[in-house]
Formats: sequence, structure tokens, C-alpha cells
Amino acid sequence: MRRFLAPVLALSLLAGGAARAEDTLSPLQFQSQGPLGTIDKAAAQRGYQVFESVCAGCHAANQVHYRDLEALGLTPDQAAGEAAAAGGTLDSPIKGAAPMDMGGAAPPDLSSIVAERHGTKYIYDFLTGFAPAPGGVTLLPGHAYNTAFPGGQTAMPPALHDGAVTYADGTKASAQQQAADVAEFLTWTADPNLDARHQIGFRAIIFFGFLMIIAIASKRKVWRASV
Amino acid sequence: MTTQAKEPWAATRLPYLGALCATFCQKTRAPGASYFEVLPFLISITAAFLTLSGIVLAVYYNPWHAFDSVQFIDRNVNNGWLIHAYHATGTTMIFGLTYIYLFRAILTRSYRAPGEWVWMLSVKLLAVLLLTGWLGYVLTGGAAGYWSLFNASNVALSLGGLPGAVGVWFFGGPAGGGTLARLEVFHVFLAASLLLVVWLIHASRKTIAAPAPARAVAFYPYYLAQYFAALAVFAFIFVVLAFYAPHLGTSHFNRIPAESLAVPVGAGVPWYLAPAAGLIGAFSSTGLSIFAVIAAAAVLYALPWLDRSGANGAKGKLYGFFIWVLALDVLALGLTVHGGCPYAATLAGVFTAWFFFHFLVITPLVTAMEAE
Amino acid sequence: MAESAASHATAHGGSRRDFLTLLTAATGAVAAGTILWPVIDALNPDAASEGAAHLIVNVSDIAENTAKTVQWGGLPVTIRKLTAKETLDNQAVVPSSLPDPASFTDRVNAGYPSFVVVIGLNTAVPCALEGDSPAEPRGDFDGWVCPCDGSEYDPLGRVRKGPATKNLAIPRYTFINAAQIQLG
Repeated sequence: MRRFLAPVLALSLLAGGAARAEDTLSPLQFQSQGPLGTIDKAAAQRGYQVFESVCAGCHAANQVHYRDLEALGLTPDQAAGEAAAAGGTLDSPIKGAAPMDMGGAAPPDLSSIVAERHGTKYIYDFLTGFAPAPGGVTLLPGHAYNTAFPGGQTAMPPALHDGAVTYADGTKASAQQQAADVAEFLTWTADPNLDARHQIGFRAIIFFGFLMIIAIASKRKVWRASV
Repeated sequence: MTTQAKEPWAATRLPYLGALCATFCQKTRAPGASYFEVLPFLISITAAFLTLSGIVLAVYYNPWHAFDSVQFIDRNVNNGWLIHAYHATGTTMIFGLTYIYLFRAILTRSYRAPGEWVWMLSVKLLAVLLLTGWLGYVLTGGAAGYWSLFNASNVALSLGGLPGAVGVWFFGGPAGGGTLARLEVFHVFLAASLLLVVWLIHASRKTIAAPAPARAVAFYPYYLAQYFAALAVFAFIFVVLAFYAPHLGTSHFNRIPAESLAVPVGAGVPWYLAPAAGLIGAFSSTGLSIFAVIAAAAVLYALPWLDRSGANGAKGKLYGFFIWVLALDVLALGLTVHGGCPYAATLAGVFTAWFFFHFLVITPLVTAMEAE
Repeated sequence: MAESAASHATAHGGSRRDFLTLLTAATGAVAAGTILWPVIDALNPDAASEGAAHLIVNVSDIAENTAKTVQWGGLPVTIRKLTAKETLDNQAVVPSSLPDPASFTDRVNAGYPSFVVVIGLNTAVPCALEGDSPAEPRGDFDGWVCPCDGSEYDPLGRVRKGPATKNLAIPRYTFINAAQIQLG
């Protein structure tokens, strides 16, 4: 599988001319935020790599199929290669774990997690928010302390570690970089049409704004002529 | 030239085209009508648009796997996300238009004779719209919608006697796998009856329309230009919302699939159902809540007779002030549902009490006082 | 004076008003079209149906002398990998001697001549064929045999014996790379 992924990603990213990924960490910014946001495809591809290597051990993303990966810049045969390496076809959901019991809580399906919870930045804050419990807080059994999670205690253990993933495009895989990339990838899985929506919406607003102005002008001319 | 020459040809071949041209081309209308008079037309257009997008959604929607089918529409159907946004934004727009239309009807006292029938049809429009909108929200298969259905069906099933029988008939038993299948059919049926109510409003308004004044204008091109301009403004607002805020006013709990173990914190109703939800939530007893909803509809229907100012009476400024207070009261009632406020039930009680006080006490007294 | 001013305004502003009205009406028509087109397009095949319609099959896991069968559009599509000997033998067959004449190059893709892609149904009586694996009966020509009427086919899917008179149908396909075929 690795023999497909590394040269494929490297080629597609070189072709795209992406900016260095570390630039997005200081200050932390996500290209997908805001009304004019677009999905950072390079970051999303890296995030897919992190999802595959780390998150898929416990989580699933059953609403995302291998054919959908073409929207991130993969060609159809690259996507089919990913699918074949995972033992599926283009129409299979991307490989993830079956639901499991983590002391009473099940790891949620991540397909729409960014919409279900509190947005892209929240996912980044959650993934980088694992910390030792402060004094006076007794951890429930099997739980970890997290500064971003409502209530402070989550049944998920800290998952991202520096260098645990080797990025195909050579970006340094610090835990923060992995968290930022996975957040962008999950933003895409929750809203795969974000780019189209913002692009078409921008043009639609200009067009309908123009229509509104000439319609009102036309009405005033008709009314002035009739009186 | 063209109108006169064409009319005989069309009229001798198709009976209604001649009448159509008479409505639109003859000078029968007073000039200078306000933009607000276009609201029923905009409501009709939105209803038609909701029907069209609803038909496409219905092709792919599966009530037995509701949440997954909506995800399928968003992710796999060509422009499915846009059709979904059309339907959701269209719902927001139709409720916004209807609330503004009713508010303006009260403000301009157009419910007085001979407009009582149009007023009652308009209240009926709001009632049918609320039920259709609630069913649509439940059909999304999200956690908030599911819990709303769960609560409503449990209440309906717990009633005794005839109301209980009607409740059992409507829901077909406790909320389960097949409930959404029947609710989808009800949603479609109610949407069709909505179109009927809108048509009846249009027909009634025509019947009570004032006769042509001395200086009259035809619909074409005078009012066509105004209707088109209003439609263009409406379309602009629609486009901004559909592309940049497709989930406006809905709870983010509804983005979680319905699951009996996931209980949302807070009610999670969409904005257009908030005032009704506030009214229901003001009472701790089920019977009282149901009675309050029926009573609210009743006082709205009865407004033409609660207003004591007479058909051509003055439109007093004091009552006008109280109408704006009523609007704020309804808004505040909706906000109590938002969740998080510990005094929500008490406040909802206060705002509900004011709602009935406005119609049953203030309206007769103040309008009678200002009529002299 | 008022009338002449009004008529002057109409004459002068008349052509301008017509242009504005025309522009407004045309823009409105375009707006209606752009809003309504997605509604119509939504009923075109969705991504899952498109995926099923243009199925991509991995052929790198097919061993020589065996075949893989996938379901596509309600039909079984069989993909078989030829051995070198089968290739030579079948290239040597004279097409005119066959019940349904076809040469070797008619039956395979020029760039990937060791793969045969056919619809795995007998062309006489529609019946699934046997012969995908070497263990199954393959008939005298080492290809496929129909268990329903006994028709026999060679490894290229050409009919050689039996009630059938037409070669196995070849679906539309392309090799998107050495390991994958896209059907349709």
C-alpha cells in the first residue's frame, strides 16, 4: 500500500505547488474557514494519511468512499489503488474500525464529526488538548483529561505523537501538524461540497445582486412612466 | 396592438386564456400599492419551490434509513447538497414571509370586515405550515428531530379518550422504524393542502378587493415590475442563505444521527418552531399545553371580533404600540426555548400569559377606547 | 406643458426603459434557469450509480489460466488471464475455420494481450459458463463450456462447438493502468 501512496501523493502535491505545511501552524489557520474558505487539498491528503494510520484503529468514516478521494486530487486509478490495497472497491467506505466498547463509550464515526461537534478548530484543540489532570480532579476509570472536551474527561486516549506518521510530501509530522491536517481532512469529510458551495455562492451573490438592482430600477422606471 | 389582436384567437380556442388576459391586462387596480402586498405571491412561489425540491428529495429519501439517505443525497446525488439547501432555506424563507405577513395583517388591521375570512385562512396557513415544518424537521432523522418525535408521540399516546385515539391514529404506535414512513406521507399531504390554502387566500383577496378607482393601472406592466423586483430581492436573500448558511436556525444536535442513547441537552427545535415550542413548554402539565395551543389558535381566529373598533374605525396608535409589544413577546417566547436559562419555564409562562392578555383584554379595551 | 413634458420623457426614456426591461427580463430568465437546472440534474445518475456503471476491477490478482467473474449491470463479466501457450495456440487458429470468425486481435486489447474480457453468458441459451478455474470442466478447447446446452468456447471466448453460433460478447472496457480495468 505504501508503494502506491508515497509517490502518488508526492507527485500530486508537487503538481499542485502547495505552500509549506508548517506555515499553517503559526499562527494556526485553516484554509477552509470563513465564507471564502476552500479545502486545503494538500493538508487534507496528509490528514487522510493520519486517519488511515492512526484514527482508523478505533474510528470509522463510513460515509466516505474511496471514489470520493478523487475530490482531494487523487486520480481515479490512484483512488482505485487505495481501495484495492484495503481489499475493497471504489464504492467501499474507507477502511475503519468496527464499533468497539471503550468503557461504555463507543468511538464515534468521524464522517461528520466536525459538524456534529464544534467545528474544525475544536477538533484541533481536542487532539492537542490532552494534558495531565489538574489537582483536585479525579479521573474516571479509563478516561483521560482533555482541556477542550466539554466536562474535561474523555474516554479517548491521546492518539497523536510526534513522528508517528511519515508524510509522503516530506512535511515534518509533529503532533500539532498531524492534528491540523486531520482537522482539515475531517472538515472535508463533513462537508465535501464546501468548495463548490462557496465558489458557486460567490458568483450567485454577484449575479443576483445585479439582478436585484436592475429589477428595482426597472420597476421605478415603469412606475414613474405610468404616473 | 398585440393584446387586442391575440385575444380573440386564444379566447376562441382555450376558454381561460381570455379571462387570464382580462385579469392582467385591464386597468382595474389602484396604483401605488406597498411592497408588502406582494407577500402572498412570494409565499406561493416559495411553496412551489419547496414542492419542486421536495419531489427530488423524495426520490432519494428513505424513511427506514432516514439519516443515511439524507447523507446520500448530500454526498452522492448530483447537486444533492444544493437541493437539500434549497429545501431547508425555502423553509426558513416561507416561515419568515408568513410571520411578516401575519404581523403586517395585524398592524394594518386588515382582519377587520370584509377581511375576516382572509385573516382566518392566513391563521390556518400558519397552523398547517407549523405542522408541515415540524414533520419535515423530524424526517431529517437527526437526534434533535428524533427526540422531538419521541416526546410528541409519547404525549399523544398517553392521552385518554378521543384525543388519545387520534394520537394513536396519527403516530401509529410508539416511535419506531416505520414511523417516519407514514410521517413522510403526511408531510407531503400537508404540503399539498398548504398550496390549497394559499390558493384560497388568493381567491378571497380577489373577492374583497376594492373596485377600480378613477386612475387605475393594469397588472401588466405596472405590478409585474413590482412583483419581479420583490422576487429579485427575495432571491438575493435566498441565495445568500442557501450557500452560506444552509443550516441556519437549526440545532447542531440534528447533525448527529438519531439514536436512542444520544439525548440532546436542550430542546433543539428550529427557529421557526421556537415560539410554538415556547408556548408548549410554559406548562408542566400535558393537558394544559394542548389546551394552550388550541386556545392560542382560537384567539388568533377570533381577532376580527375581539377588535372593537368597527369596520372603518380609526387605527389607533396605542393599539399599534401594543402590536409591536406582542411581536417582541412572541420573539421572547421563542428565545426561552434556546436552553441554558434556569428561569426558562417561568419566563415562558410570563410571555404566554401576556400573549393571551393582549388578545383577550388589551385588544377589546384599547380598540374600543380608540374608536371614539 | 405637463403633457408635452410627459410625452417627451416617454419618447426619450422610452427606448432606455425598453432596454432596461429587456435586460431585466433576460437576466431573470437566466436566473430562473440557473436555479432550476440543479433540480433537474439531481435526477441524473448519482455518484454511487455512476461508480457502479463504470466499475473498476483490479486484475493484478488473477493468476494465469484462471478467470475472475464480477457482476456489472446485471451481467457476469469474466476476466481471464491467458498462458503464453494459449496465446500462441489461439493466434495460430485460422479465423475462417470458426463458426463465428474472429481473429486473436479482435478479441483482446492490443496493449494487454494476455487478458480476455467477456460477458460470461452462453450466447445461445443464456446460461452461466463453467471454466473459470482449471478444476472446472472446460471442454475440448480448454476455454469455457455451457452446462445447459453443451456449447464449448476457447480461452478467447470464441465459440467452437455446440448449439451456440456467436462468440461470447465483449463489453466496453479500458485499461486505466496495468492492474485495473474500467468497465463501461
